[in-house]
Amino acid sequence: MKLPIVGFMPSDVIAAWIFTFVVGAIITIYVLKRRKLPLIWDYMRTTNHRKIGTLYLLFGFVFFLRAGIDALLMRSQLALPNNHFWLIQGEKYNEVFTTHGTIMIFFAAMPMLLGLMNVAVPLQIGARDLAFPYLNAIGFWLFFAGGVFFNLSFFFNQAPSVGWTGYAPLSTEYTPGPNTNFYVFGVQVSGLGTILTAINLIVTILRHRAPGMKLTRMPLFPWAALFTSWLILIAFTVLAIALYLMMFERQFGAAFFSGDEGDPVYWQHLFWIFGHPEVYILALPAFGIFSDIITTFSKKRIFGYPAMVVSLALIGFLGLMVWAHHMFTVGLGAMANTFFAITTMMIAIPTGVKVFNWLFTMRGGIIRFTTPMLFALGFIPSFVMGGVTGVMLSVSAADFQYHDTHFVVAHFHYVIISSTILGIFAGIYYWFPKITGYLLDEKLGKWHFWLFLFGFHMTFLPMHLTGLNGMQRRAYVYYAGEGLTALNFTSTVGAFLMGISMLFFFWNLYKTFRFKPIAGNDPWDGRTLEWTQASPSPENTFEPMPVVHTSDPYWFAKKSGHAMITTDDVRPMPPSPQTILPFLTGILMISLSFGMVYHWFWLAVLSGAGVFAIMFIRNVSDERIKMEKGEKIHE
Amino acid sequence: MSEYEGALLKDKKIGFGMYLGVEAIMFATLFTNYIIFTPSPHGPQPGELFEAKSLILSSFFLLSSSFTLIGAERFLSKGKKLGFLIGLGITFLFAAIFLGLEVKEFYKYVSEGNGVSANNFMASYFVLVGLHAAHVAFGLGWMAALFTNWMRNIQKHLYHEKLKIFSYYWHFVDVMWVVIILVVYLRFLI
Repeated sequence: MKLPIVGFMPSDVIAAWIFTFVVGAIITIYVLKRRKLPLIWDYMRTTNHRKIGTLYLLFGFVFFLRAGIDALLMRSQLALPNNHFWLIQGEKYNEVFTTHGTIMIFFAAMPMLLGLMNVAVPLQIGARDLAFPYLNAIGFWLFFAGGVFFNLSFFFNQAPSVGWTGYAPLSTEYTPGPNTNFYVFGVQVSGLGTILTAINLIVTILRHRAPGMKLTRMPLFPWAALFTSWLILIAFTVLAIALYLMMFERQFGAAFFSGDEGDPVYWQHLFWIFGHPEVYILALPAFGIFSDIITTFSKKRIFGYPAMVVSLALIGFLGLMVWAHHMFTVGLGAMANTFFAITTMMIAIPTGVKVFNWLFTMRGGIIRFTTPMLFALGFIPSFVMGGVTGVMLSVSAADFQYHDTHFVVAHFHYVIISSTILGIFAGIYYWFPKITGYLLDEKLGKWHFWLFLFGFHMTFLPMHLTGLNGMQRRAYVYYAGEGLTALNFTSTVGAFLMGISMLFFFWNLYKTFRFKPIAGNDPWDGRTLEWTQASPSPENTFEPMPVVHTSDPYWFAKKSGHAMITTDDVRPMPPSPQTILPFLTGILMISLSFGMVYHWFWLAVLSGAGVFAIMFIRNVSDERIKMEKGEKIHE
Repeated sequence: MSEYEGALLKDKKIGFGMYLGVEAIMFATLFTNYIIFTPSPHGPQPGELFEAKSLILSSFFLLSSSFTLIGAERFLSKGKKLGFLIGLGITFLFAAIFLGLEVKEFYKYVSEGNGVSANNFMASYFVLVGLHAAHVAFGLGWMAALFTNWMRNIQKHLYHEKLKIFSYYWHFVDVMWVVIILVVYLRFLI
């Protein structure tokens, strides 16, 4: 048995412990003083979609900040040639870029998007909740457990250092310690939660729409959520098995990815069959958010609605067929490279269709430059720039030149930040009234946006050039006279600008909760059903239920001056119970993961038994048994 | 069954069907994994290890448990409670026997020194067949919950609902076993 906390602790870990204790103490004092414990207890047991969405956004944002600090540490190390910033060299640098990538993808971007879907999708389609409220809570607490568990590794000075891709044999033969196990179990646990939430969203979208809301009348964000969920079902399932195999390799002596029988390229195939669709899992919801925001703030119907939906579907489908473009240089052969190059290039077509449709939606519209609209407008040119370098990279012959340089880093940050992160912030500003009942401050929001956008381009535009000048990704040092100094320094300044923009966001949150600017039901003059509901959205929405006769039904009702037609004849919803079981499941998954990572199998077995016990309890005591009356099975 | 119950049951059926689709992708990946790594260039070989006798015996119990479950469902919908309990009881018993035979087989391999680390054939065998065995064990727990619900005498339609979802699961586990027979065992036994 090996205790996690032993021996030498580097100063950054000690700093993190101190920081956590201080912040923890402040939060505890605040909670006790303001008597917020009942509120926390309520959120721990909730199965309401808006509250779970809020939790997703909250914890996704916490992890986003942590991963953002990782990025600033990296950029500080790279600011000057032959720099020695704090401890961030060598192995420490490897840990920092690993946790930055893993947390940003799995524990920041994904959950914040799932949070927005949880908040907005049921409200947009006229559903009273997700189809399976209990399962929704399980999905959230599994993400929470995976995220917390992964982050704890740093506090024990055992952060993984294998890259967010966990390439074998680095992640198998060469890192036998517990570090990489934190990656395997953290991602696995949260990934299972993601799969469950995806199923929940699909059933909700397919079965719980308001009367009259055909699929062809559905707003584009639910459409995007639907395709995203299908991608999740395939991609995360393959990832789950890849991590399962890696667990057997690391802990029980299998050799799938290393040794004389195994093959590291096999891991790459499994990983990228997940990893490439993941890029579209991150991008498609953002496309949906932008479509809704651009229509609202242009006061126009979306241009080419059918084309938008078909493009989403095509992007999703092609996204599943292009995984090997991450592997052009591993020697798959010319035929395979060509196939994957062409399918990759084809993605530019539906994406281009979408970009032009957004532009045509704005054409001739009455445009209001609100903060969410600014985020949407900032996205379009930034994303196109990322798309262009994507087509450059898809040329497999040219990729041999760009591979593993800062050029690639610049490309994927261009596409992911401009779609996902701008999309998330656009969504947060847009739907903040539905989450809290208050409007965020527009002026501070604009500061946030402009600083973020400027910092973003300042960080990543120079990286194209450093990459073309031969600077490798994952390298923690370069030397004076290589022609990289000025560009790298510019990048670092840009990164800190992005960091400062977050301070404006915090200030905005503080100001909003201090002065409580009441938003009202429909602050943006919206078009879709969520704006017919109170802000924040109550636990019982859509009473009475609107009947939908067109797309953008609320807009046309407002325009014609008639109230929306409503009905009491609604399809049933399962009740949303208050239950602590999902939370306990999450906690037990954390202790199970600890048991597996440190080979305390008694702990793993006990926790696993606990999880099954909870499932058993749930099966024999679900809320419908208590609430419904009816004929018993016997007597 | 009222419209209310019908709608909720259909939600569950669709949702659980998709969950089984996810499981099918998981198993498909593991089947591929098994095909890639079997047979291994050295170490234990499938032809030496597998025995037709134990395969036939365990398959008999697992596959017939699907039919006893169908029988149990028929009895329940006809209102024959004793028949239902016996049907579900036999399903449980057969599943338990199957699991016992599986564990015996695993134990035999491991005690002969052919564990997960012996070679990649053994590793891919254990990750695949072991995951299936875990599904059977989970099914046993689920049946225990069904018996508990019977004792608690819950509402009739809810009980039917729970039984229906379980039967989807159980038939899925059986179908996966048929594929395991075909992919894992049969081509090395004939």
